[in-house]
Amino acid sequence: MSLIKQNAQPKLVIPQTGAPANRLVSTRSGGKMVKDYWDRLFSARERGATVVWYNGAALNPIFQAAGIEWCHGEAFGARLAAMHLEGPAQRMGEEYGYNQELCSYARTTLGCAVLTQKEAAKYVNAGDGADVPDIPSQEVLASKLPPPDLFVNAYAGCSTGQQWDEISYRLFNKELPFFKVSYPLLWGNKADAGYLRGEEWMEASRYVAAQIHKLIEFLEFHTGRPFDWDALRESMHYIKKAAQLRLDALALCKATPTPAVFWDWVASIAPINFLPGNQDLVDYFAGVKAEIEQRVIDGVAALPGERYRLAFDGIMNWNKVGWLANQFADHDAAVICGRYTHSSFWNEPHLIDEDDPILGMAQHYLLCPFNHSTKTLGELLLRDCETYGIDGVVFHATRTCRSASNGQMVMAKMAQARGIQTMVLEGDVADASFYKDEILMSRLEAMLETIDVRRRNF
Amino acid sequence: MNGADKINLILGELAGVASDPHGYAAAWKQETGRKVIGVFPMNFPSELVHAAGALPLVVQEDEAPITLGRSLLYEFYCGYTRSIVDQAATRKFDVYDAFYLVDHCVALLGAADALRFEIPDKPVFLAQYTASMDEAWTPAEIRKRVEDLRGALAEYCDAALSDDEIAASIAAYNRNRDMLRQIYALRRSGKIALTGRQMQILVKSSMIMEVGAHNERLDALLPLLETGLPAPANLVKLHLSGHFCHAPRPELLDMIEDCGTVIVDDDLFTGFRFIATDVPADGDPIAALTRWYFDRNTHVPCSTRSQMTVDWEEYLARSVHASGAEGVIILLAKFCEPHMLYYPELRKELMRSEIPHLLIETEHEGLALEMLRTRVEALLETIRLRKLQPVLA
Ligand code: SF4
Ligand code: SF4
Repeated sequence: MSLIKQNAQPKLVIPQTGAPANRLVSTRSGGKMVKDYWDRLFSARERGATVVWYNGAALNPIFQAAGIEWCHGEAFGARLAAMHLEGPAQRMGEEYGYNQELCSYARTTLGCAVLTQKEAAKYVNAGDGADVPDIPSQEVLASKLPPPDLFVNAYAGCSTGQQWDEISYRLFNKELPFFKVSYPLLWGNKADAGYLRGEEWMEASRYVAAQIHKLIEFLEFHTGRPFDWDALRESMHYIKKAAQLRLDALALCKATPTPAVFWDWVASIAPINFLPGNQDLVDYFAGVKAEIEQRVIDGVAALPGERYRLAFDGIMNWNKVGWLANQFADHDAAVICGRYTHSSFWNEPHLIDEDDPILGMAQHYLLCPFNHSTKTLGELLLRDCETYGIDGVVFHATRTCRSASNGQMVMAKMAQARGIQTMVLEGDVADASFYKDEILMSRLEAMLETIDVRRRNF
Repeated sequence: MNGADKINLILGELAGVASDPHGYAAAWKQETGRKVIGVFPMNFPSELVHAAGALPLVVQEDEAPITLGRSLLYEFYCGYTRSIVDQAATRKFDVYDAFYLVDHCVALLGAADALRFEIPDKPVFLAQYTASMDEAWTPAEIRKRVEDLRGALAEYCDAALSDDEIAASIAAYNRNRDMLRQIYALRRSGKIALTGRQMQILVKSSMIMEVGAHNERLDALLPLLETGLPAPANLVKLHLSGHFCHAPRPELLDMIEDCGTVIVDDDLFTGFRFIATDVPADGDPIAALTRWYFDRNTHVPCSTRSQMTVDWEEYLARSVHASGAEGVIILLAKFCEPHMLYYPELRKELMRSEIPHLLIETEHEGLALEMLRTRVEALLETIRLRKLQPVLA
């Protein structure tokens, strides 16, 4: 059991309204855009397109400008988990030898890689005598990815992310071209180090930018085509615009009650993370912003009975997003901001120079929310708590993701020192078996009660 | 005193160092008045710390159960990292003046950062070595990190850290590794009977003790071992593989041997992996320390590194063949991501090469020795049956 203070207090009986949440309507079009993207990707082979499998940073504008189609490993793992279709891939991974304590994103996607290599059929042979029986073939098919022509790894903040592609490369018999971008953790050895500042930040930015230039050379070599720099500038123009709209919309949620919640932002992760940079993307975030603006004008709350304002720290729990959203809503707890949504995904668009975007892109890749020192993470959390008037922080202790869990206990102490309540939610990124629903509920209730007690006493 | 007594005397002293690294460091500090610097596994160039006049001590896992460390890291981190933060929280790290690391295993970084929070008065310096070794630009990047280390250590220890001083430290460490490798070679050939526990003491103490002092002990030990008794020939020969960053519990090694085996080789971090590779002795010492990083992974590949042209499983199969080991026990520290991720590749190769093997997961707390004994015995049964196959056929 975690020793993070759970702030046990005498129990107060305060009625919760549990009024139904008003989910944003505008995010629905994002779902359609994402579905269209995957549908198109699944037909890549038939269309004769070149497919890259990549992990980590949002390199998609680079691939877009190189004229190749991109398959983001984690996004695919998240998609399967969100559709509750991760089972066959994870069982395949287990048969192949992966331990359940290993990153469930990696397990899922490597399981997919094995399945992709095998003929999708009722029985799938793992190659060393391991059979996976009883997987309905349509689920196997759902786990099949378009086979890669090349691999690119660009995982900041997590050594597992890099090693995972080293294995993918081996699963495909070490025959495909493979490029790796390496990132230094923004650790902060020097006194001037900090968020977006200091010598280390600039040195790391230049190092990653230089690697992105090398990646472009690699793609030119393997596609046999010159890289389309104008196409990159154009897509980064759209991405910068969309990112700014997203930030503007996030800022509108300072309002009390909040017009949108974290779970709405989760629905917008895929579009900002890997959809093509184009006018559709801008229109999508313009639509989200417009809806939120209108809500502010009309006084429409995301949670009509909003009583608590919470932050969510950690990586997403893809197979429990809907369930979690309902649980928090039932308790009138508006989760307003989160590390994964607010400190990630082109979250500093001012860094992007549209005419010469590589350095700003490299800087965003370094700004992966798992690539900071705990000190910076704690400062960003406290900043968000202040911006959004947060009463409590929910830390998602992600069982198989040490990267997202790093620093959380220290961050909790930093938040507690500011009088902000904290709780730990034990779960996982893509493996539902690590949840203990009752414990989550009792911890949430204990934290909300403590918030009430503090409000009465101060 | 006969040869065996002399061997036991040396091993006894080194066992004391291995089991009480902080006691040794405190005594060394008192005697020399110099700094003790904790360095973290697995690729740290201790030579630089030594050349700066400080004691580089590879921070060890502590056997104590995790208590206060629970408020710094979740329980789903490897035993090594949990122990590190626990030792920091329980004030066992007072003897260290600072900590330095170059590796970027995600769990280790989390632990080092938590340690930084828990004992803010001790500097924790990260010179992150790029893990991907394939790119043409990586050597230059590693060189920069080696230079960063040199600069930081020179400043922190107020030392010149000249090329000559670094070269002298490199020579001392190479000598140490060479002598330990000679002992490994004797063990592999069956010419000496050295238990897993004893081998671990030799390597572990080399991670702690001042290298010159350790060399003196090995200088005395090697000739004694060479004239000692050979290992019994009727035991099943095993190779132990894996177990990054920290040493497997000696009781586990004892149990494996008690089952009727002899450990002839290993690629454990607190084992052959640690001493396999020398730093090139000539030329620019910074270039040599840079080269060493790459050589280590080609000599004994490690799944914490990312290198397309190097495969741990091939190395493992080759080593087993070379030592004549009849089976492999893979020791996997629970929650060790890079090892969990690579295990299926090892398994595939061992199956392909028809090498019997067993996977044992170790935890910081709780070693179910009796249960594990049954599994080891089952492995031995398989090996013995295989030996009989030609007879039965
Ligand atoms: S452990 Fe976490 S950050 Fe690392 S690859 Fe897996 S999901 Fe990504
Ligand atoms: S490599 Fe394994 S044993 Fe070492 S710190 Fe990382 S997880 Fe722990």
